[in-house]
Amino acid sequence: METNSINKRLAGLLSDGFLAVYFLFALFPILWMVLVSLKSGEELFTTQFIFHPTLENYRAIFFGDTRVGAGVVAKQEFPQYFLNSLIASTGAVILSLLVGVPAAYALARFNFKGKEDLAFTFLSFRFAPEMVVIIPLSVIYRQLGLYDTYFGIIWVYQLVTLPLLIWVLRSYFEDISPDIEQAAMIDGYPWWRIFWNILLPLVRPGLAAAALLAFVFAWNNFIFPLVLGGSHVQTVTVASLGYISSAQGFFNRMAAASVISSIPQIVLALSIQRYLIRGLSFGAVKG
Amino acid sequence: MAELRLEHIYKTYKGNVEAVKDLNLTVRDGEFLALLGPSGCGKTSTLRMIVGLEEITRGEMYIGDRLVNRLEPNARNVALAFETYALYPPLSVRDNIAFCLRARSVAPDEIKRRVDAVADMLDITDILDRKPAELGGGQKQRISLARALVRNPDVFLMDEPLSHLDAAQRAHMRVELKRLHAETGRTTILVTHDQLEAVAMAERIAVMNFGVLQQVGSFNEVYNHPVNEFVAGFIGEPPMNFLACRPAAQNGATALTAADGSFHLSLPSALQERVNAHNGQNLHLGVRPTDLHLGDGAADDDLLTLHATVDTYESLGEEGQLAANVGESPVLLITEPFLNLARGEKVDLQMSTNRIHLFDADTTNAI
Repeated sequence: METNSINKRLAGLLSDGFLAVYFLFALFPILWMVLVSLKSGEELFTTQFIFHPTLENYRAIFFGDTRVGAGVVAKQEFPQYFLNSLIASTGAVILSLLVGVPAAYALARFNFKGKEDLAFTFLSFRFAPEMVVIIPLSVIYRQLGLYDTYFGIIWVYQLVTLPLLIWVLRSYFEDISPDIEQAAMIDGYPWWRIFWNILLPLVRPGLAAAALLAFVFAWNNFIFPLVLGGSHVQTVTVASLGYISSAQGFFNRMAAASVISSIPQIVLALSIQRYLIRGLSFGAVKG
Repeated sequence: MAELRLEHIYKTYKGNVEAVKDLNLTVRDGEFLALLGPSGCGKTSTLRMIVGLEEITRGEMYIGDRLVNRLEPNARNVALAFETYALYPPLSVRDNIAFCLRARSVAPDEIKRRVDAVADMLDITDILDRKPAELGGGQKQRISLARALVRNPDVFLMDEPLSHLDAAQRAHMRVELKRLHAETGRTTILVTHDQLEAVAMAERIAVMNFGVLQQVGSFNEVYNHPVNEFVAGFIGEPPMNFLACRPAAQNGATALTAADGSFHLSLPSALQERVNAHNGQNLHLGVRPTDLHLGDGAADDDLLTLHATVDTYESLGEEGQLAANVGESPVLLITEPFLNLARGEKVDLQMSTNRIHLFDADTTNAI
């Protein structure tokens, strides 16, 4: 009895300790990023944790650099890049939801010829490394006039976001008994109201988790906007690179830009945390 | 409330699978009918066609005077209590029940009045504000019944309503369902594979097998006058014993001789006439385990005797169950409990002539 409770407490302490170590390991890069973003150029390459914090980097990325060095472009357009990222990622997720939710439903419910092949095709979007498809894509994009447009970026992001949504939501829809839909049909509801009032609330955790992940993947994507976006539609991931030139690396500016860029993801993840854990452990794994 | 009439109904699925063949069935207004059969017999397809979830391949279906073949489920005014209950998880119990009324834009106070009334009838008033996930099987069952009944359907169908309940709840619910039918007087169809449910609740039983309706009638009719071997074997527990035999002439009278020569039975004149009128040479003699008794040596004109060998005997407290062999055919009978019967012991089994059934072995139809 006595040893049992001691063992239990010991196990609790151990697992807490392990979590704390992992927590440090996982969050240290973020901490480092925040610290670097607060440093001035002189202190940049020191490992000192005690320094004179400055908001100069943040001021610079939003309102322009007062000390533009040789070859470094003034980066006061950062708000515009941020907006570009927001439009492209949000647009991509919305388009994926519009297309992916009905697709996932159809794949879960109906038996049609080539169903598994189709589902596999969606998944296979994720197989090829982006580098492999980017050259032909860029040729096609230039010919179609999609190069450097919001729509072009949103469209190419479907390669990233759509498979994720379809595969997570499909297993959710499969878990819902068709009897429920039939009961609602007998009750006298048109299909779209059944879908909206009964089915969507049931898949909401999966929907939230998949949409968030899709957003994160789209937001973090680098290679597609780098090649398919020009000066007009440049996202934060691509723009951040501009803080490093051959002459000088403004790593502190870059860090400040990264801190700002990660805010939407962090806010989103925290706000739907409740669904996230359930959504990912419940739906996706089962599929 | 209305009569339901099925006329020459067929259901053929893709790949020419015939689930229902030439089904003719009339469910009278206010009647409680059970659709009984083993799984895959076409009873669920029939149910789904009545409700409108499955298209009718051929034939006509009427509810009252309305031809409903082409009507959408909600236009037929039928209600179905699903086997899985199929409650709407995001909605409270009250909203689940009110859901169909909202679809018909019934006035809010009318909805409240009707939901309260049906909740009262099914004794679920205290759980109206809960969510289905918080409730047990018996309660979900009541909600699904309430949801079906609240809209005053012309025909009320139940698909295996008791299959997910435990034994005690099942017995209780059987009584409840019967009371519910008596109170509402609604045309009700119960789909089940469990003959006990059918017998306990329904006024008439329709027995199906392989997509074909075998027999419709009261329990007395299907139990005592089965039209074929399937009905005879399916209804009654333990199932009826069948013994292969053929007619044999004996001093100008007709008798029955076992195919393996293990018995020879002289028949009363009524049965002789039936056997003579029938042409077939291969017959099956059917007798229920409860109609077969251990002989006490008494001879009686009405009693037929089989000589058998004891195989196993189980004493089950209130009764005993004896498995014996007549020639090479196994038979089962219900006996007194606590008998001393040893394996291999010779026994005489007796049955009354008016408790035996005769079937044509080739067509399996009763003669």
